[in-house]
Amino acid sequence: MLITRDLVKRYGPQLALDGVSLDIGRGEFFGLLGPNGAGKSTFMSLVAGLRPPDAGSLTLDGVAVTTADPSTRTALGLVPQSIALFEDLSAEQNLRVFGELYGLRGALLRERIDEALEAVQLADRRRDQVKKFSGGMQRRLNLVVSLLHRPKLLLCDEPTVGIDPQSRNAIFDFLEARNREGLTIIYSTHYMEEATRLCSRIGIIDHGRIHALGTLEELLTRLPFADEIAFPATPFTAEFAARLAEHGELTTADGEHLFRSRPEFKTSAFYALAEECQLPARLFVTRRPTLEALFLHLTGRTLRE
Amino acid sequence: MRVILTLVRKDIANFLRNRPAVVITFLVPIALIYIFGFVFGLNGKDNGPTGIRLGVVNESASPAAQKLVDALKGEKTFRVISVDYTAKPEHPLTEADARRLIHDREFNFALVIPSDFIPDRGLGLRLKILSDPRNEIETQTVNGLLQKTIFSNVPQLLGQSLQASAKRFLGDERTKKFNADLAGAVTSAFGGDAEETRQTIESGGIGAVLGGDSATANTQPKADFFSRLVKIENVQIAGKDVKSPAATRVVGGWAMMFLLFAVSAGSAAFFDEKNAGLFQRLLSAPVRRSQLLWSRFVYGILLGLVQLTTLFCAGRLLYGIDVFGHFGNLVVVCTAAAAACAAFGMFIAAFSPNAQAANGLSTFLVLTMSATGGAWFPIGLMPEFMQRIAKFTLVYWSMEGFSRVLWAGNSLVELLPTVGILLAIAAGVMAVAIWRFNRGAVFD
Repeated sequence: MLITRDLVKRYGPQLALDGVSLDIGRGEFFGLLGPNGAGKSTFMSLVAGLRPPDAGSLTLDGVAVTTADPSTRTALGLVPQSIALFEDLSAEQNLRVFGELYGLRGALLRERIDEALEAVQLADRRRDQVKKFSGGMQRRLNLVVSLLHRPKLLLCDEPTVGIDPQSRNAIFDFLEARNREGLTIIYSTHYMEEATRLCSRIGIIDHGRIHALGTLEELLTRLPFADEIAFPATPFTAEFAARLAEHGELTTADGEHLFRSRPEFKTSAFYALAEECQLPARLFVTRRPTLEALFLHLTGRTLRE
Repeated sequence: MRVILTLVRKDIANFLRNRPAVVITFLVPIALIYIFGFVFGLNGKDNGPTGIRLGVVNESASPAAQKLVDALKGEKTFRVISVDYTAKPEHPLTEADARRLIHDREFNFALVIPSDFIPDRGLGLRLKILSDPRNEIETQTVNGLLQKTIFSNVPQLLGQSLQASAKRFLGDERTKKFNADLAGAVTSAFGGDAEETRQTIESGGIGAVLGGDSATANTQPKADFFSRLVKIENVQIAGKDVKSPAATRVVGGWAMMFLLFAVSAGSAAFFDEKNAGLFQRLLSAPVRRSQLLWSRFVYGILLGLVQLTTLFCAGRLLYGIDVFGHFGNLVVVCTAAAAACAAFGMFIAAFSPNAQAANGLSTFLVLTMSATGGAWFPIGLMPEFMQRIAKFTLVYWSMEGFSRVLWAGNSLVELLPTVGILLAIAAGVMAVAIWRFNRGAVFD
């Protein structure tokens, strides 16, 4: 559906996108995971036709996306990172404005507005000014405005920034439902939990380059360890931690050690060493490795940096 | 104390980093003080207005009339126009020409020195002042200065009047003898050359004896005396039928200033939408940048049209300004003025990096344009170069349009040049704004 080839975008001397090539198929829920400044929003703005690439190509259903020709944009919906709504207007008026810009009129527009307000539980607040809404309500409206014209591809640029967990879950449920109905979604985030929960395929981006691409399972196989084992960082475990360091990667944070073993260092060897140090097995918690670990492994940085 | 000093230092640093605030605090008042200085004669050594265009029609063949014209030409307050420069070939101004040129707003005042400036019978002088008193302050100023110039020269002029009367009653020979005897008496009493004194008396110099020192001739008792001798007929060329002259004169200026402020607020709102990400969202829809800009422009025109119309209607209700008698033409001028203002708003948005800068720049431009464009006081009171600058402001041309409709009752055809200039300003300013938008970072 969306094919990009060697996309390059510069802002002055800064390289924001450095040869990004992606194939995103119809019905995919594609996640673009990376820290702030990785190039996610630039990629989104190029796909949305807001900016031209300096090099490379970008086609949607075989049609080149350009800033000059707005015709391809009817197939797109963009959920910007900020709450891009006319806050003095009501929810209904906002939907009407954007619906009309996409060519919706009359009964069809009214029907779509009713559906949209129902879908995000704002039907009873339809005539209230948007500035009187809570942050979560504004985010929900911000999302549904982009779907009014039934786009084929929805671009969500960090759509859950700064909202409460309840509203975030409501947005996730909504997006998952739309995706099940066939909507293709590109979702950019720096929260690995979001990418893990929502996305069928994930691209890890940093410094404008795609470092890894695949399903969650495929990505995690790129890690040199299978599991992570956590245990308390206390004087009692200090000697054990020191001896473990030669068998893998050990990080310490928030009073906790996290050990990622080398492939040759088996779990049985780990527990044998623990017993040798007189540490009980109940101290240890085995976890599945996360995208955070993969990102750290690939880029040497954390997602929060 | 240390806490207070730290907080004060923080406020100073904040203020200095906010360049628009610095501009509003220092530059705007200085610019306005400078402009007011011109009006009230504080700049330079010369006080008072200069270069007010004054038509002078000299229908009299008497040397006294020419003397009066020369005296007016010597006044820095006036720029005397004595030929019809709109005609080809140019010819000396007639009263009909002066009336037409006043109607066409070439100048607002004309002095007619009629052929019977020095009447055949009786002692005194006759003059006629044609005026378009669309601005009260300017009219009062010009009338005062004209009277001062005339009265300053009255003794000389009356002397000639007396000589003319003497010739009529005594005949040439007797008058010459009288003048020679009088010169002899004067020189024998005060000294001097008898022949020179005679020539002075014949050229009207005897009037100085009546009037004394001409430099003090405008003092009140003498002015009263002269006003009985000098009959000035005042003829109003335009605005005779205006129902509420005072309100009609000022409403346009205030309306324009508030419209400019409203449009400027719209420029700042432009940045609010940008910062909220609304431009991104709008441009990700099938919307072009040009459509976004033109929609703002059209909105500015509608806002301006409604605001101006509302303010004029309020003027009708509160002060009885005759709005509905010229409603169609008024809407035409309001639309053109609103277009120019909307373009100005776009210009501010295009050249400002953020809302704060837009506010600062617009406050500066609105106040200086209002002052120089004549919204606060007549531009006739400012020096000539300021009057020329005024013609580059949309405030001047908007007020000119309102004045032509409400004061002079111009027809639509007569309004076309003014409306054309306003639309040309709108087109020019908008073109610059769009060029800047296309090169700037507003949509990034």
